[in-house]
Amino acid sequence: MGGGFRVLHLVRPFLAFLPEVQSADRKVPFREKVIYTVISLFIFLVCSQLPLYGIHSTTGADPFYWMRVILASNRGTVMELGITPIVTSGLVMQLLAGSKIIEVDNNVREDRALLNGAQKLLGILIAIGEAVAYVLSGMYGPVGQLGVGNAILIILQLFFAGIIVICLDELLQKGYGLGSGISLFIATNICESIIWKAFSPTTINTGRGAEFEGAVIALFHMLITKSNKVAALRQAFYRQNLPNVTNLLATVLIFLIVIYFQGFRVVLPVRSKNARGQQGSYPIKLFYTSNMPIILQSALVSNLYFISQLLYRKFSGNFFVNLLGQWKESEYSGQSIPVSGLAYLITAPASFSDMAAHPFHALFYIVFMLTACALFSKTWIEVSGSSARDVAKQLKEQQMVMPGHRESNLQKELNRYIPTAAAFGGVCIGALTVLADFMGAIGSGTGILLAVTIIYQYFETFEKEKASELGFFGF
Amino acid sequence: MARGSSQSQQSTSTGSSTARPGLAAPRGSAAATAGMRRRRLGGGGGVSSGGGSGVGSGSSNMLRFYTDDAPGLKISPTVVLIMSLCFIGFVTALHVFGKLYLHKSGSQA
Repeated sequence: MGGGFRVLHLVRPFLAFLPEVQSADRKVPFREKVIYTVISLFIFLVCSQLPLYGIHSTTGADPFYWMRVILASNRGTVMELGITPIVTSGLVMQLLAGSKIIEVDNNVREDRALLNGAQKLLGILIAIGEAVAYVLSGMYGPVGQLGVGNAILIILQLFFAGIIVICLDELLQKGYGLGSGISLFIATNICESIIWKAFSPTTINTGRGAEFEGAVIALFHMLITKSNKVAALRQAFYRQNLPNVTNLLATVLIFLIVIYFQGFRVVLPVRSKNARGQQGSYPIKLFYTSNMPIILQSALVSNLYFISQLLYRKFSGNFFVNLLGQWKESEYSGQSIPVSGLAYLITAPASFSDMAAHPFHALFYIVFMLTACALFSKTWIEVSGSSARDVAKQLKEQQMVMPGHRESNLQKELNRYIPTAAAFGGVCIGALTVLADFMGAIGSGTGILLAVTIIYQYFETFEKEKASELGFFGF
Repeated sequence: MARGSSQSQQSTSTGSSTARPGLAAPRGSAAATAGMRRRRLGGGGGVSSGGGSGVGSGSSNMLRFYTDDAPGLKISPTVVLIMSLCFIGFVTALHVFGKLYLHKSGSQA
């Protein structure tokens, strides 16, 4: 290693204090993995419903209203921060490592350890910072009314909840569970949101009288109670301000499109140098980085929203603050929505008609989505150790070569496919998100994309685990 | 037909076992063990190794922050779960005592 000073070394003194889940020293049975995963999910769901102690009120404007589902957080509960600290720290570390501000050599064990420690430490610091910001900004009522004791209690609860989320995620990733905790929590939250909007028995008073919130329930209720069946059908399909059947159908359509795209891949033939005649394949998927671009893009947008609202509330007259975003109360939901500035431009247009009315906003949003997803996707393969160089190294260690190519050309061959798959896959993810938003899919385009890709990955993981178990049994 | 299917099954299981020693190797095992692992790796079939790489690639695409052991406060998965449940119990207890306190002060007034 070079003798020069390195930024990552700053993390070393803190490593001793960071909680570290020990790796699985043996093959964890599939059933045990399922149990750990289910218990982790249970803990997360309970925390999502457990109210914070000491809060005075939660009637103020919610800066995270639009991102709640994606960030797996719930207003006024212990899980207020959700996965924001851990995703934000991942985003920051990716940007630093990708832009070479932090030098990381993925081949050096110590560098990886330091990087992991830095991410965890940053996540903890972000949890503390956000908790303090929440309390001081009056999210739970004016600080004067809360009192110092309650304020400190709230901060401690949020901080400790952040630690728990980080530990649960690490638990699942160290081989004790399936997939990653973050994906599990996001998918659960989004599915919960979709099911609620489709089958909610809650009634809401509108101009037409009491209506069910759930789209399916409302459909059947209208068909049964209305004398004019055709009008009832039209209203169920196209009603405004509440989930309707068209939203539900759009959601299903996006699900099917994403599943279809999951099958796209380029299969590279590989064979073993030692066992002659043994052939295999190394698939490179279109969605090479899976849902990573969407998660990072969501983290970026939500943080920008948070900062913009915080600044706007304090310095609404400042030119640069107004440039960042201006907010006002929505008539329907009572939440703040961006009405101008950068925050507004990166918000999805509400509908096709809204897009036609503001073409520049729509164009800016589309370009931002596609570009951000492509860039995050391309950067992520370097940071996560799945670039052409890393894959070539792995294959070499396993004594694999490509037929018809010399060993030294393996990396060059992979370089033809992997960066293209990553960037183009990111663009496709962004495009599907935009499409889902414009079609009015339940939740949001970002949420739908995340849910589908995460669920698909879980199915793949289940298939592999089952095959592995059967293999051992047969063996 | 039967031979083909049995061969593929064997390859699958071999791949699984092969992948794991490969992952374990970088942790600096003894030379003899390394030699044995290397031999086993050599015996691995192409299909299995390819599958192993696929698995690695797939898992690396998930959001993974913790892939290696790092020096730190070691805790077992059971401790993580117990700690989480204790935290939930603690917050719940805070609510219960808070209401009792309010009740007492209310009755006093």
